[in-house]
Amino acid sequence: MIGKQLPHNRLNFLKISVYFLSLLFVLKVVNLQILRHDHYKGIAERNKTQIISQTAPRGRIFTKDKVLVSGSRPSFSLVYFPFGDASAKYAESLAASLSKYLEMPLDDIKKKLFLAVKRGTPVRIAENLSDHSMFLINELKTVYQGINIITEAQRFYPMNGFLSHLLGYIGKISPGEWKYLRNDSNYSMDSYIGKTGIEKRFEKDLKGEDGGVYLEVDSKGRLMQILEGKKSVGGSNVYLTIDSKAQTAAEEGLRATGSGSGAVVAIDPRNGAILAFASLPDYDLNAFVKSAGSNKNLKNIKEFNYATQGTFPPASIFKIIVAAAGLEAEKIDVKEEVFCPGYFDAGARVFKCWKKKGHGLMDFYEGMIHSCDVYYYTLGIKTGPLSIEKMAKKFRLGVPTGIKMPNEKAGNVFGPSRRAKKKSYWFIGDTLNLSIGQGEMLVTPVQMAQVIAVVANKGKFWQPYYIDKVVNLKGYETFASKPKLVSSINLKKSTWEHLRESVRRVVLEGTGYSARIKGANVYGKTGTAQNPHGEDHAWFVAFAQIDDKPSEIAVCVLVEHGEHGSSAAAPIAKRVIEAVLRDKLPKPPTVGDRQKATGDRREAGDRLQVKEDSKRLNDTQKIESRRVAGDRSQEAGIQVKEDSKQLDTAQGETDIPSIMEQVN
Amino acid sequence: MFLQKSKIKKSRIDWFFLGAIAILLIIGTISIFSSVAALGNQARIVRTHLLALPIAFTAFLFVWNFNYQVFQDQWKIVYAAIIIALTGVLFFGIADKGAQSWFRLPFFSVQPSEFARIGLILVMANYLDKSIGKIKEFSTVLIALGISAPVFFLLIKQPDFSAILTMLPIVLIMLFCAGARLFHIFIIMGFAFTTALLPILWTMIDLNPNLMQNSFINFFYSLSRFNWYLAAVLAGLIVFAYIFWFVFSKFYRNISKLYFVGIALVIALGLFSGIIVKKQMKYYQQKRLEVFLSPNTDPKGAGYNLIQAQVAIGSGGLMGKGVFSGTQAKLGFVPERHTDFILAVIGEEMGFVGIILVMGLYIFLMRRIVSTAYIARDRFGYLVNCGIFGMFMVYFSVNFGMLLGLNPVAGVPLPLLSYGGSNLVSTMIAIGITQSIYSRRYALT
Repeated sequence: MIGKQLPHNRLNFLKISVYFLSLLFVLKVVNLQILRHDHYKGIAERNKTQIISQTAPRGRIFTKDKVLVSGSRPSFSLVYFPFGDASAKYAESLAASLSKYLEMPLDDIKKKLFLAVKRGTPVRIAENLSDHSMFLINELKTVYQGINIITEAQRFYPMNGFLSHLLGYIGKISPGEWKYLRNDSNYSMDSYIGKTGIEKRFEKDLKGEDGGVYLEVDSKGRLMQILEGKKSVGGSNVYLTIDSKAQTAAEEGLRATGSGSGAVVAIDPRNGAILAFASLPDYDLNAFVKSAGSNKNLKNIKEFNYATQGTFPPASIFKIIVAAAGLEAEKIDVKEEVFCPGYFDAGARVFKCWKKKGHGLMDFYEGMIHSCDVYYYTLGIKTGPLSIEKMAKKFRLGVPTGIKMPNEKAGNVFGPSRRAKKKSYWFIGDTLNLSIGQGEMLVTPVQMAQVIAVVANKGKFWQPYYIDKVVNLKGYETFASKPKLVSSINLKKSTWEHLRESVRRVVLEGTGYSARIKGANVYGKTGTAQNPHGEDHAWFVAFAQIDDKPSEIAVCVLVEHGEHGSSAAAPIAKRVIEAVLRDKLPKPPTVGDRQKATGDRREAGDRLQVKEDSKRLNDTQKIESRRVAGDRSQEAGIQVKEDSKQLDTAQGETDIPSIMEQVN
Repeated sequence: MFLQKSKIKKSRIDWFFLGAIAILLIIGTISIFSSVAALGNQARIVRTHLLALPIAFTAFLFVWNFNYQVFQDQWKIVYAAIIIALTGVLFFGIADKGAQSWFRLPFFSVQPSEFARIGLILVMANYLDKSIGKIKEFSTVLIALGISAPVFFLLIKQPDFSAILTMLPIVLIMLFCAGARLFHIFIIMGFAFTTALLPILWTMIDLNPNLMQNSFINFFYSLSRFNWYLAAVLAGLIVFAYIFWFVFSKFYRNISKLYFVGIALVIALGLFSGIIVKKQMKYYQQKRLEVFLSPNTDPKGAGYNLIQAQVAIGSGGLMGKGVFSGTQAKLGFVPERHTDFILAVIGEEMGFVGIILVMGLYIFLMRRIVSTAYIARDRFGYLVNCGIFGMFMVYFSVNFGMLLGLNPVAGVPLPLLSYGGSNLVSTMIAIGITQSIYSRRYALT
């Protein structure tokens, strides 16, 4: 039995307090249900409003240079209010009439109408009415009660597929999403919601607050009157770090290639801001809005994002990292020459250079300039695969960049330590493959963009980001990106100098020749990734610097099946760099300038002619004098040759006035 | 003091008690079906409820059929289970309405905090049973709180404010019934009040920055961080307490210094833990706290939900509009109508008669739990019943009070009536424990 210590009166006290509390409740219930029943009954009869939501305009998305890439436009929806006659016959005849004007199966319309009648709530029957069908349905309104057309804001992408992989698309809320959002008054079962990309990541900001139309219904849920609505509030605007000109250059450049697929990623090496982010093939973002839930025709949309999900062997652009490892370990002297006969004898197997004839004697710079494989085989063996693997990891290959895009791939770094973990052996052939970036090495374009940006800023890994800020309608910033230093690589000063010097010379005199830009120093490296399944993939990584200012752009271009980095990828990089630096480069001549220039040239040509004539005159004199002197003909011939050479140069480089002056 | 044994039938089964529960369950099921009839996800709710009923019944039979004393012997396992479950839900749980409180299972979701409530009652009853000799000492009360503190901490992390709101009173009621000194209980209440109130006030200021223009509010807000203001206020508190004691001691010679120092200390500690709680809260948690405090952030103005619920009840009249014929709730004017506001549906459709019936059944249940406590075979059984009584009392008074406009709107369901599988199962487990105590009220034979 219970010990005597327990004060039983306390539990009794609680019990009795419950009785008193209940008495209070009973009094209150009597007041509500008996005494004031008529009052509340009246309210219940009268005060019955329902709401049909009206989609708020989603926030707009702008690029860095304030170009609108995602906005809203008005669209018309057909709404049915269960009004008056709610018989099945009425609904059937209405459905039959409507189906003539809507591109919808009759059964679907019927289902929605019956739902509306059953629940006594308004239902949205169709969205995105065309002008034509809207006109005809407006006529129907006189025959049938309860149908109404309301205006809503609809997502609109002015440039269709522009930046599609980054922006993402919106779609009808799915049952899974609805489960989590059903308690959010801002969403209804037919709301649109961001499905991918920025539309998904900033859904809460972009969404805004839906407005609504209040409807007065009677106690059986029939519509009596439409009351004043609540105005919708637009969502926050998102500002990107993307430069629209650079993005256009990237997308058009990729589209013009043979395969039309690949990726361009441009990064600002000073802070990690993404300036261009193109992945082709892309897709029309407006198609998702137009299809309005029926996603059947969207099955073949190519959502694969080459920039973050495409993994390829880096091939020759990996030589930058091999060179960095070699220079840092001081295993090579930049002046030391290696003879390239076109192959490298590794004992069991002969490894070829990409140039069958061989490059001949190569020092460090020439090895980079001509991308000589044999030089890098030698360099790789001298440096050792372990240092290369370590350097690759320092350059953050094999880990995702954390760019905040879904399913970013990490790629793969291979090397002796990785092999050892897998309990497998490491062969000399592996070292050679590693030295030229082939074999199991896999990278994504965004990783390589980061690698070249790090070469540009000498060792700083900035977290890549593409959102500049999110600003709500009141003008407050609700989100702002701050540059974040992820890690940094400390290499010797001489390593950076040699590395940069060599990639500079790649553009000046080597495979990256087609990326030269007047007024800016372009540093770059081409790559051609061998592809056993088809044409090779073309790589080009580059950054540009004006004078000694910090570099403002680093870009990585991958053209799938583009064959050669120099011909397919480098021109795209050039266009992107030119677009980014457009205000800082010397102005390309406008039409007027060009006319003036041609005029100058003509004038200069005339002057040359005069000069020629005078020379010829001189020559004749000389010939005459030779006749006299008999031994000066040789000298005169040389002089004529020199003159014509000068003329060639003058015609070749028309745009540069300094040469004109030289001619004069 | 004791109910006479002869007054309660000597049967091992309390048929009246079980009958009352069955009636409540039937009323609840009908009301849930009626209230969700117009909802889009009605099929899911009906399915889950029909799945929860047999599970709850099985759990009830299971718990009833074995000796409740096993919970006392194995209190460590019970305690470990609730802590693990509440920790696990933070990592593997899914979020709904901003709180990470559910485990997702193939057919339904489980809310471990509902079961933690029962577990806490068992663990607390064991502790109080063991330390009944020292119950007058403050250290016993402190240890009791220390036992429940991890549970509260994990609940704040979710954050599940309504679970905290129901569990803390249960702990206090158990302490009260075990015979702790009233002064100690008041100290705890004061501490809990300050700890809860300060972050709430600060959060409200956070969310309405224009309040900061008032210099007093601004000063008050500056106390939400550890700084010199805070130190000054604390020092002032102690000085004031001393002065009060000094003055009072002139009039009452025997007054203890403890009372004054105690009060100052409680406020100071409340302030400290309030700051810590505030720091722990993420933005979305603050937002949720705001919604919890004022769910009327509705386009139609303050009090809309409550007014509509009252209109629903009031329009029901004496006999109600008839089952499945309610309009207020069905047309979507009453929010959360199948969970926290189920009483509005009952009031509308079954009228005054229905509400009084439900109220009467609850009172009957609580009466029976109290009598079972008195006839329990051991002190542990008594204390467990006190806790279960406390649970019903809190649910009953908060839910009824909320609906009738007597206390602020809080997301507290009505057990056995509201929709919610975990709540139903855990309530039936509690009922099973009570029945087990009832059936084993005599010595083992």
